[in-house]
Amino acid sequence: MTNLAFEEARAGGVVDTMIGFPAPREETIHHYDFIRKQAMDAETQDMEFPAQYMFKGVPKFEEVDDPVEMLVGLMDQFGISKALTGMPVDGGASQRALEKYPDRFYSQCQVDPNQGMESVRNLDRAVREHGAVAAHCWGTGLIPQVPVNDKKMYPIYAKCVELDIPIFVYAGVPGPRIRFEPQYVGHLDEVCWFFPDLKIVTRHGGQPWTELLVKLLLKWPNLYYSTSAFAPRHYDKRIIEYANTRGADKVIYAGYFPMGLSLDRIFGELPDVPFRDHVWPKFLRENAERVLKI
Amino acid sequence: MADAFEDAAAGGVVDLMIGVPSPTAEQADKYRKYLAQVHDRESREDFTFPAQYMFKNVPEFADLSDPVRTLIDEMDAHNIRIGMLNVSTSLDARRALAEYPDRFIASWDVDPNRGMEAVREVEQAVEQLGVKSVQVFPAGLTPQVDIDDKKMYPLYAKCVELDIPIFVNAGVPGPRVPMECQNVARIDEVCWYFPDLTFVTRHGCEPWTELAVKLLLKWPNLYYSTSAFAPKYYPSDIVEYANTRGADKVLYAGYYPAGLTLDRIFDELPKVPFRDHVWPKFLRDNALRLFGMETA
Repeated sequence: MTNLAFEEARAGGVVDTMIGFPAPREETIHHYDFIRKQAMDAETQDMEFPAQYMFKGVPKFEEVDDPVEMLVGLMDQFGISKALTGMPVDGGASQRALEKYPDRFYSQCQVDPNQGMESVRNLDRAVREHGAVAAHCWGTGLIPQVPVNDKKMYPIYAKCVELDIPIFVYAGVPGPRIRFEPQYVGHLDEVCWFFPDLKIVTRHGGQPWTELLVKLLLKWPNLYYSTSAFAPRHYDKRIIEYANTRGADKVIYAGYFPMGLSLDRIFGELPDVPFRDHVWPKFLRENAERVLKI
Repeated sequence: MADAFEDAAAGGVVDLMIGVPSPTAEQADKYRKYLAQVHDRESREDFTFPAQYMFKNVPEFADLSDPVRTLIDEMDAHNIRIGMLNVSTSLDARRALAEYPDRFIASWDVDPNRGMEAVREVEQAVEQLGVKSVQVFPAGLTPQVDIDDKKMYPLYAKCVELDIPIFVNAGVPGPRVPMECQNVARIDEVCWYFPDLTFVTRHGCEPWTELAVKLLLKWPNLYYSTSAFAPKYYPSDIVEYANTRGADKVLYAGYYPAGLTLDRIFDELPKVPFRDHVWPKFLRDNALRLFGMETA
C-alpha cells in the first residue's frame, strides 16, 4: 500500500534534524566513553552503544572512506534535502560538509552549561560568526548532569532568545543507564514560562510522559517535539494523535542515523505512521524550516 | 587616625549609595507599594520607612524646591565627589545625572521576575543612559528572588558580558520580610559559576559577616559595601578584614537620603578604626577601580 501523501511530501524534500556522519566502529566506540564514565552498571561498560539493548540493527561501519560523501549519498537516496549537523568549526566532517554543501547542512552549536559563560560566548560566536542555526544540549549526558530547568541553563536560554535561535534538549527516560531526572518532561514547564520567546525542541521522545508533554506543547506556543531516536513504528500514539489534531505545526521529524537507526529502516517504516495527509509536509520539512529559519 | 581620614576625604569621596531626596510622605507611599509583602501592622500603617525601627533620625523632607540641588549641596558639604544613583525609577535621578554627569555613576535596579525584559532593559540603560552598574534588592521583590536563584542567572550573565558590577543586598533585611533569599551563603555558588562577575554586597551581610569575610577572601571579584550602616555599627569582622587582607575589597556606601544623614555618617566615620592606608581605598579608590576610573 503506497502512502501518497507521504511520498508527495517527501518529494518536496525532507529535513532531518538529527543525523550524523558515519564513522568506523573503532572510533564510535570511544565516542560513548562519557556515558560509560557515569554509568554504574557493568553491562553498560561492555555495550558498544550504551542504549543498544533497545535497538535492533544499529548501523555499523568497519571502514568509512569519506563520511561526508557517504552521508550525502544516503540523503539523496532517501530524499533528505537538508540536515542539522554538528559544530560549525569542528575541524572534521561537520565543518567540511557545511563548507562543501552549504544548502544541505546547517550547524547546531553544542553547549555545555558546566562551562558557564565560556559556553555562552562560544554559542554567541558560533551563531554570529559561523552561522549556526540552533543550540543543542544533552544535559543528562554531562558530568555533572544538568537538568533542563537548572540555573546553569538559564544564561544559555537567555542567549538563545537574544540570538533568536531554537535549542534542542532531551526529554523522557534516556536510553543509556544513567539517571533520567535531568530530562523529566515536567522541567520544561518552568523554562517555557520564564522564557516565553525561547524556542525549545525536545528530542528522544519524552516517554513515558507524553501525555504531559502534549499538554505542554499545547500550553506553550514555542515548545516543539522532534522524533529523534525513535523508529517510526514506535512513534508515541499520543504524539501522533496530537499532530493529527491541534499539533500539526509542532511535531518535527528527526531520525537517528547512524547512532541507532538505519535510514532504510526509518524510511521503510515512515509511510505506515498514521499521520493525516496534511501533517506529512509539515512533519517532514515545513515545521523544521520554520523553526530553524532555513 | 583622624588625620588619615581627613587626608583621604579631602581627595574626594565616592558614595556608592546615594539618592535624590523626595518628600517623606511621597516616599512612604512608594515604599508601601513596593514592599507589598510586609505583613505586620506597624510596617503597613505606621512606618514611613520600612526599616525605621532600626534607625534614629531618618532624614525627613517636606518641601523640596530643587531636590537635585539639595543633593549636590549635601555632597559638596561632605567632600563627596561622586555618588552612585539608581536612575531606573526616579526622574529626579535622571535629571541629576544629565545636569551633573561628572558627579554621578548611574545604576539600574532590576527585577529578575521580569525575565528577558529585565535583561533587555539593562542593555538599553547601558547604551542609552550610560548606566555603569546593576542593582537588585532580593528581599524587596514580589515574589522574592534568592541571590542564587535561576532567575538571577541571565542578569548575572548580562553583567559579565557588559563588564559591569552588580550590587546585591545581603544579610537579614531591615524591612519585615523573610530573610532567606539574602542569606550570604548563597553568594558562594554565584561567585563560583560566574568567576568574572563583579559582585558587590550591600546592607551589611549581618549576621553572617564571618562567612562574608571567608567568601571575600575566596572570591577575587566579590566586594563588600557599607550601605545602610551608620559607621559606628560597621561590623567588626569587616573592619578587621579591611585592615588586614581586605583593604581593596571594602567600599564606602552611605544611605542618604533613605535612612541616614550625611552629617551623621561623616561625624562617625573618623572614629572607625581603619588603618591609615585603608582610608583612601575605602572612601574612593576601590570604587574608582571597580568602574575603571582613574584613581588619584
